[in-house]
Amino acid sequence: MDVLRKIFQDKFAKSALIVLALLYLLILCADFIAPYSNTYSNREMSYAPPSKIYTIDERGKLSWPYTYNYVREYEPALMQTVFKQDRSKKYYIKFFPKAENITGLIPRHLFGVEKGGELYLLGTDINGRDVFSRILFGGRISMTVGFLSLLIVFPIGLLYGGISGYFGGIIDTLMMRFAEAVMAIPSFYLLIILAAILPNGMSSVQRFALIIVILGLIGWAGFARVVRGMVLSIKNEDFVQAEKTIGASNMRIILKHILPQTTSYVIIAMTLSVPSYILAESGLSFLGLGIQQPDASWGNMLKEAQEFTNILYRPWLLTPGVLIFIAVLSFNLLGDAIRDVLDPKSQKRVK
Amino acid sequence: MEFLKYTAKRVLQVIPLLIIVSLISFFIIRLSPIDPLAELRLNPSISQETLDKEMKRLNLDKPIYIQYFSWAKSFIKGDLGYTTAGEKVSTKLKERIPNTLLLTMVVIFMTWAAGVPIGILSAVKKETSLDRLLTVISSIGMAIPSFFFAILMLIFAVKTGWFPVGGLTSYNFNEMGFFEKIADISKHLVLPVIVLFTISLSGLQRQMRANMLEVLDSDYVKFARAKGLSEGKVIFKHALRNAVNPMITLLGFEFAGLLSGAALTEYVFQYPGLGRLILEAVMKSDINLVMASLMMGTIMLIAGNLIADILLMITDPRLRGRS
Amino acid sequence: MNKVFSLILILVSLGILLKACIRQDIPQSFPERIITRELREINYPDNEKNINLNGVDYLQSQAPVGKFGGELIISTIGEGPKTFNPCNTKDATSSAMAGMLYDGLVTTNPVTGDVKPLLAKEFSVNGCDYVINLRKGIKWTDGKPITAEDVMYTYNEIVFKGLGNPSAMDAMKVEGKLPVIQKLDDYTVKFTTPKPFAPFLRQLSYPIVPKHYFKPYSDKGESVFNAFLSPNTPPAEIISSGAFMLKEYVPAQRVVFVRNPDYYKINLNDNKLPYLNKVVYMIVGDTNNEILKFEAKEIDVLALRGSNVARYKIREPESDYVIYNLGPDTGTLFLVINLNNRKDKDGKPYVNPIKHKWFANRDFRASIDWALDRKNMVQNIALGIAEPLFTAESLNSIFLNKYIKGHPCDLNVAEESLKKAGFINREGKLYDADGNRVEFDLYTNAGNLEREAVGVMIKQDLENLGMKVNFKPVEFNSLVNKLTNTHDWDMAVMGLTGSPLEPHDGKNVWTSSGSLHMFNQRPANYKIDDRLDWEKEIDEIFTKGALKLSFDERKPLYDRYQTIIYNQKPIIYLYSPIRITAIRKKFKNVFPTSLGGLIYNLDEIYIDEDKN
Repeated sequence: MDVLRKIFQDKFAKSALIVLALLYLLILCADFIAPYSNTYSNREMSYAPPSKIYTIDERGKLSWPYTYNYVREYEPALMQTVFKQDRSKKYYIKFFPKAENITGLIPRHLFGVEKGGELYLLGTDINGRDVFSRILFGGRISMTVGFLSLLIVFPIGLLYGGISGYFGGIIDTLMMRFAEAVMAIPSFYLLIILAAILPNGMSSVQRFALIIVILGLIGWAGFARVVRGMVLSIKNEDFVQAEKTIGASNMRIILKHILPQTTSYVIIAMTLSVPSYILAESGLSFLGLGIQQPDASWGNMLKEAQEFTNILYRPWLLTPGVLIFIAVLSFNLLGDAIRDVLDPKSQKRVK
Repeated sequence: MEFLKYTAKRVLQVIPLLIIVSLISFFIIRLSPIDPLAELRLNPSISQETLDKEMKRLNLDKPIYIQYFSWAKSFIKGDLGYTTAGEKVSTKLKERIPNTLLLTMVVIFMTWAAGVPIGILSAVKKETSLDRLLTVISSIGMAIPSFFFAILMLIFAVKTGWFPVGGLTSYNFNEMGFFEKIADISKHLVLPVIVLFTISLSGLQRQMRANMLEVLDSDYVKFARAKGLSEGKVIFKHALRNAVNPMITLLGFEFAGLLSGAALTEYVFQYPGLGRLILEAVMKSDINLVMASLMMGTIMLIAGNLIADILLMITDPRLRGRS
Repeated sequence: MNKVFSLILILVSLGILLKACIRQDIPQSFPERIITRELREINYPDNEKNINLNGVDYLQSQAPVGKFGGELIISTIGEGPKTFNPCNTKDATSSAMAGMLYDGLVTTNPVTGDVKPLLAKEFSVNGCDYVINLRKGIKWTDGKPITAEDVMYTYNEIVFKGLGNPSAMDAMKVEGKLPVIQKLDDYTVKFTTPKPFAPFLRQLSYPIVPKHYFKPYSDKGESVFNAFLSPNTPPAEIISSGAFMLKEYVPAQRVVFVRNPDYYKINLNDNKLPYLNKVVYMIVGDTNNEILKFEAKEIDVLALRGSNVARYKIREPESDYVIYNLGPDTGTLFLVINLNNRKDKDGKPYVNPIKHKWFANRDFRASIDWALDRKNMVQNIALGIAEPLFTAESLNSIFLNKYIKGHPCDLNVAEESLKKAGFINREGKLYDADGNRVEFDLYTNAGNLEREAVGVMIKQDLENLGMKVNFKPVEFNSLVNKLTNTHDWDMAVMGLTGSPLEPHDGKNVWTSSGSLHMFNQRPANYKIDDRLDWEKEIDEIFTKGALKLSFDERKPLYDRYQTIIYNQKPIIYLYSPIRITAIRKKFKNVFPTSLGGLIYNLDEIYIDEDKN
């Protein structure tokens, strides 16, 4: 609790924490908040711009917010597709409308529009899917990929580093040589090779899980190396020696007495490494090796945005990039703050 | 003598490392379902005969361990083999390594020139708003996906017309004078350097800040302060040297890190470097090329670490006895 | 002080929030654009003429006379050339680059698609005999004359021996036998094919190489020859015959060609072509980079795709480029269905027998065809810059079966067809007659935005019929491996490039023993004859079609094969993009055609900055 209070004293860390909490809340309630399901697509509305919501009507009077639908027109002479507003009918915004097909717990959406109307807060993508809704569903993947990978990295890293450091000698040398070899292979290429190995024909859930495993398999070595370093110094401390003399088993000493000492480092490493997994996922998606269509992730949505004409004419497709940026930045700031608070050395200094 | 023995020991350690790295990468690549001949197969005018010939040439018809041994044998002999396209791997690497070295050197130089002072500054002004601001600014650079940043930079280049769109040299490079050539290359380097610089700055800055804080906290700095030396003298004469020392070990890793971190940036900027070459080779399962470049990368990493260690031994007398 | 500051901050942000919430409904006005679309009348020049000047048989271009000098910068997507050896090219970039350096005996008339002489002065065909007269007095770039010896060498010691890329040899075989070449005199050769063989004349466009330069390497065997003329060869060493010579190759960046001062083509004033001093190929990684380079004026020609067309079209009047519409592309996009019923070596069927029963049913395939919404694919994915496709030949093919009109998307017909095949739709879920839920995988190569989007649309279209489609984009290489090796796939969205002049080039796809017969791929050297009736008929058509010489005799045969494919639908065609290309206005003598593209006549193109 003390830690939380300290973090809240830091302005940047506080805002980062709030932003992250907000993001996680949004993606947790994606089914409720998103006006459309993640399979929705309107093929007459490919690359439609964001819907304009009006609160003052054409006569200048205040009105309940409403929007118009778009109609797509193709001008053959200019070879151009334009979206014009169909001003014949106003569609009013509704709060808590009934959901058409229930995917979440609550059979209603947060907001929507009258029947027959279309509401695209952030426009649509090439398949006429609502970008706003897809961002929420895609966030579920992008924002959890890091944490889930850490679930693989940490047990392996802790155990590997713990055993290596505790036993020392030839075991240590062998284990560390192997870890160094894994580290020596530039991680990004290893990532690509591994991602390409993924057996194709997997369901999206399996693919997601395997990407997590791969990201984890790459990250453990560096982590194990640091843990080993810490264990090396901890194992000579008195309480470990005392445990040894009363005959506790080696595994017990490692698990019960040595590894808990590394907790603060683990927490710091965790917050500081989550962003790198988010970025790695987007990099994989850029090369077409990440989460695959029709599933959404911020990485594969951003891939669509990176075409020159899309950046110029369809800037709403860039929102996933902005969100990646915000999420990664927040994790970094939070990580910095946690490190300052938890790092025993800096605590000493604060005193 | 001590020194030579240490160096020899380190060099010997490299051998098992190379073997493990090569084993891991070779088997992983070969177990992947990527077919190096995919593009050929999909070309309607390529006959079965051509495909069979290519299979033979690339040894694809033999079991994987035999493929590995034949690769390893020729690697030891110094023969890196041919790419799937039939070009010599060694010449391909020779073309790219200087370009990558150029880019990496400039980036490393820039990050050090900026990262070390910023790190010192934020350590000295620890927990002030200046320190916070510097950390936030450098974090911003780390938060943008590199490929996306690179694309934005390219669009910036197009819109302003100030910088060329990717590449390393202009098409009429060979007709330029010496100084024009330098100016041309520099112009091409600006944008990729900016991207890589922003991305790698924050790591270095944080490390420097942490080291500096540790040193400032040490007894001898306290002692120096107690002696009544001016703060500037304390920082620059005593603290700085000891804080920079551990950073030297980072050099080796930073080099290897840039090699893989630069891949996407090189790709977007069409920079003719090693990163892009490996990326393309990996995507096509061009085994000889991938293996050779991974080996190069490993050797560079190890050499970097070795040089860093030796530098440390020279600069830090405390370590001399230990080895 | 601090409080005041925060108060102001809160007020400002509230104000911004309010501003964002309040928006007045003002009708959008679209300015009436005056569309001035002068239809560009292209006056194609007459065919080149042979002219003898001072004992040299020149080829005289009939295009308007231009100015000498300047350079044209184009782009090539990918990693650049892998070889400059024209006999050993296996990819499009290398072929294009080597093609710059070496001319063939004949070439294609880009307007009509007919065969016309190039390095040959003239040719005559008489049944199986092809007599070729060479130009007298024309030279390789090292000054040595180009003679019948070089032609004899190229065919006898490279092509017919299968040196380099043996595909050329394979394509020239008629029922397993190769043609024979005879030297009649120093400037005349005669080819004799074992049987009349229609594709042969066009195959004479194979580049002729200098014997004195190539022979030392081809004599040393395969591996030496394959490494010969690798991209690292010093350009000055290369002896070539084309309009341009290699000047410089900078790996992963560019290939520079300079004018061949002693080329055999002349203009109407009898000056030696080409006009341009330099042609530069910039090596770019992807289309995105290409567009940016065009925007930054680093390249002069740009192939426009879907979403970009509108941008360039609108800005064309004030810009320094012109846009040409070259009509439908040779590229085709299709959905292929796996009809394979063979088993792998462990006895496991490649395709689940339950699924195979569906896929083998013509009505099932027809229902898929009718359910696909090609109109919206064209509109959404290609942004209108494409045409729906129903035929196996590409839309610009001279062999296109014009009677196949296609059909709109119609779910009723599709459902009717499914009913006929015994499928039952229960509450929006489709079951076959045995009660199995219809569910299968749809693959395409990941990372290709266009194909992924098409896959998503197909998935939706088929789910309208109650099928369950698992759409799985996989890495390109793995997909090809599936299609050609492991055969464990159900359906895939793929693309191939057609050959608009010679349907026989598609024999690897269509004949039952072809190496790219994806929809029912047989292993190499497969002995069992398990061809379907219509596969048999296509095999016969391809054998017969190659042996007939006249276009009028061949056309009905190839019409028939397209009808069979259209009826049987092992491959369901989706659409062909329309080729739209921009080139800087300063380039003159640009005569775009659907078959040749935009800059096939690099030797005639010149620069005129003033006249627009």
